[in-house]
Order: sequence, then C-alpha cells, then structure tokens
Amino acid sequence: MVVSRKVLFLVIVLVLISPIFGVILADMVGYHEPLDVAAEILGLNDITEDINWTPFLDYTVPGLPDVLGYIVSGFIGVGVILALGYVLKRFTSKEKV
Amino acid sequence: MHIPDGFLDPITIIVTYAVFVCYMAYSIYFIRRKGVFTSERVSIVSALAAGIFAAQMLNWPIPGGTSLHFVGGGLAGILLGPHLGFLVLFIVLLVQCIVFHDGGITALGANVLNMGIVAVLTGYYCYILASKIWGESRKARLIGGFLGGWLGITLAGIVCGLEIGFSPAFPFGVAVTVPVMGVWHAILGVIEGLITAFVIDYVYLKAPHVVSYLKRVSYGGK
Repeated sequence: MVVSRKVLFLVIVLVLISPIFGVILADMVGYHEPLDVAAEILGLNDITEDINWTPFLDYTVPGLPDVLGYIVSGFIGVGVILALGYVLKRFTSKEKV
Repeated sequence: MHIPDGFLDPITIIVTYAVFVCYMAYSIYFIRRKGVFTSERVSIVSALAAGIFAAQMLNWPIPGGTSLHFVGGGLAGILLGPHLGFLVLFIVLLVQCIVFHDGGITALGANVLNMGIVAVLTGYYCYILASKIWGESRKARLIGGFLGGWLGITLAGIVCGLEIGFSPAFPFGVAVTVPVMGVWHAILGVIEGLITAFVIDYVYLKAPHVVSYLKRVSYGGK
C-alpha cells in the first residue's frame, strides 16, 4: 500500500467535507479566486477557458452538480497522486536505493 | 496564489520555468546521490502530496470575495527537506494544473517557484534555525513550524507579486503588487503557520523518525 490507512482516512474525510468550504460557503459569500478578481478589475484577459484542455476545469465534473463534482474531482486528484506514488514506489523498489 | 494563464509575459514565463527546471534537476541529482529516495520515503511523499492536495481544496471563503487555504510548502520542507519537499509540492501543482487547470500551464514554472521552492526552502531553513537555537525541543518544533509556515507563504506571496508586477500585462508595477501580495499573505499566513506548527508537533509525537530525518539530511547523513 502506498499510504497508511490512517492517512487515507484523513484524506477521504478532507475531500468529503471540502465542498462545504469550496462550493457552499464560496457561493454564500460570492467568492472568486483573488487573482481572477484582480484581472477583472484591471480588464486583463484570463485565457483559462479559451485554452482549456480538461473536462474537470475548476474541480467540476460535466453533468454533476457542483457539490458532487467537487467531491469526485477531489477523489480523482487524490487517485492520480497515489497512482504516481505507486509508480515511483515500483521504480524505487526495482532500483533498491 | 495559483497564477492562471494569460497573466505572465513571455520573459517571466521563460525565467520562472528555467529556475524551476534547474532546481528540479539539482533536486533529482541530490536525491539520487544521497540515496534518500527509499520506498518508505516515497510513501511519505505520496501521503503528504495527497494530504496537501485535499487540504488545498478546503477554501475558507472570506466575505469580500477572497479566500484562505492551506498551501503546505513550509510543512513539506520541514518534514522532508528542500528536495523531497519540493517533489511533494511539484506533484500537487502538476496534478492541479494538468487535471483541473488550476494554475496556468504557462504559469506552472512561476507557481512551482512560489509554492514549491520559495515556501519549501523557507520552511526548511526556519525549522533548521529553530532547531539550532532550541535543540530538539517542543519549543523549536512549534516556533520553527510556525515561522516556517508563516514566512514561507509570505515570501511566496511576495515573489508572486514580483512576477505579476514585472509582467507588462499588469498595469500596476512591483511597487504596488509586492506590498499588496506580501501584506495580504503575511496576514493570512498566520493560519498557515499555526497549522504547520501543530502538524509538525503532532507528527513528531506520533512518528519522531519522520521529523528527525530532516536533521540527519541537513547535517550530512542519510
């Protein structure tokens, strides 16, 4: 196993509660990324959406409500990181560092 | 603090990418030469990267339209040192950029420089300094952890201010962007410092070898 069960449990809890902060409270106070706000005030061109390559832009999942999409995005991100860790672990055990 | 695409000019993009690539090359060289990339430490790198990624999703919105979230650069630097700590933040920022387009691909060098190099190195050196003054004591862990987290995010904010201030796309120069970013992150960084200090103290109590590893690396051992 790449990480211990305790750590995995903590990460799962963090992802499950993350929409409370990242979506629900954000909507309540009208939150936008600070640098995006600055760009809008200054009339800068944020080209993120123009050159976007991912269906998971801003931690959303197409077809899912924002809260659920945020949670699924969290698990996708954690899954990719742990997969990278698994590959690195295989690599290091072969090298016997 | 994640700079999106369209904010930086080509020169800033090239310079920040060059710094990031050079630092990564040196880190890989250091990790291989020291033999610190063991299976156990890969597990710690993965666990910390997953934890920081999840913690960064907990945006604490502040009325007025901004937010606060844990960055984790100082924490990674203190727990794993300047090279493995860099690797942790690099993995997090790469996944955020490629999978979620959180932080631009043109700004990846700048974002890694701010959060993966500046914050990590600051955390590491603050903790080493505190350890030299107060030894392996709880005072050293709490003060070193707090300073590492707080100063790490503050300096990262200042460097971020320099990058966007130097960019011709921003009508305000560094005289405006640096103080704004620096002061704002110095205020919000208090929370980062507190979380870092308590996590370091907790990890030391539960798994002292993880924190002690830093001391061995900094003094020349494995």
